[in-house]
Amino acid sequence: MTIEATELEKAVVLKVTGRMDAENAPQFEQTCDLWIRRGAKHLIAELDGLEYVSSMGLRSFLSVAQKLQPLPGSLILCGLGGLPRQVFEMTRLLGLFPVFETSGQALATL
Amino acid sequence: MESPAHRLVLPACVESLEEFRRFVRGGAAACGIAPGEVDKLDLVMEEILINVARYAYVPEAGTAEVTYWQTSPGRLRVEISDQGRPFDPLAADPPDLSRGLAGRPIGGLGVFLVRTLADSVAYRREDGRNILSFEFPGPG
Repeated sequence: MTIEATELEKAVVLKVTGRMDAENAPQFEQTCDLWIRRGAKHLIAELDGLEYVSSMGLRSFLSVAQKLQPLPGSLILCGLGGLPRQVFEMTRLLGLFPVFETSGQALATL
Repeated sequence: MESPAHRLVLPACVESLEEFRRFVRGGAAACGIAPGEVDKLDLVMEEILINVARYAYVPEAGTAEVTYWQTSPGRLRVEISDQGRPFDPLAADPPDLSRGLAGRPIGGLGVFLVRTLADSVAYRREDGRNILSFEFPGPG
């Protein structure tokens, strides 16, 4: 899994590529925590390249969104497809996040 | 129609996950399970093995054993066992999936995914071993 961050005026875009499993899910949460500590309120996860996510990954997404909510802020999901999208749907997590096709669409709402 | 069983024993730790998954993926390919289904099998394996790595032997270390065989064309049966303390991961209450973001519990989703993606998921305690078994593909 690789995470590529781009800091914008209203949000930080995190492009996540590869497989998010038990071994590396904490890395995603730690990266998000770093940006939250630097004052980011909105994180946009670009997930077009996310091939796989397990419950440890879901746990990280949920935990980051719960930290951002009271700021108030948000963890926005973009480009979710394939099995990762199915996993978010099965666990009924999809409805808990703002979801967009592209980060451009997400940015337009902030 | 049943194939002979294949067996792999490795340390029960997160680092063994990929080797166990590769082992069972080989079985899935050999019995004709579509490549597109294999990520689901990876997910089921991860969720079960992570529980074993986390809870079976703590604070000591031990091994996990994965056995699989084909029950019929395109259908795999997998058993994951350990010799740790008795632990039935299926005994926990299912997570409340209706809660909003703030109140949504962070745990319990792994077992939920196993039950959704695999078939005939069952736990038994036998000869000092915890054995979690499932058949694949499941309905999901």
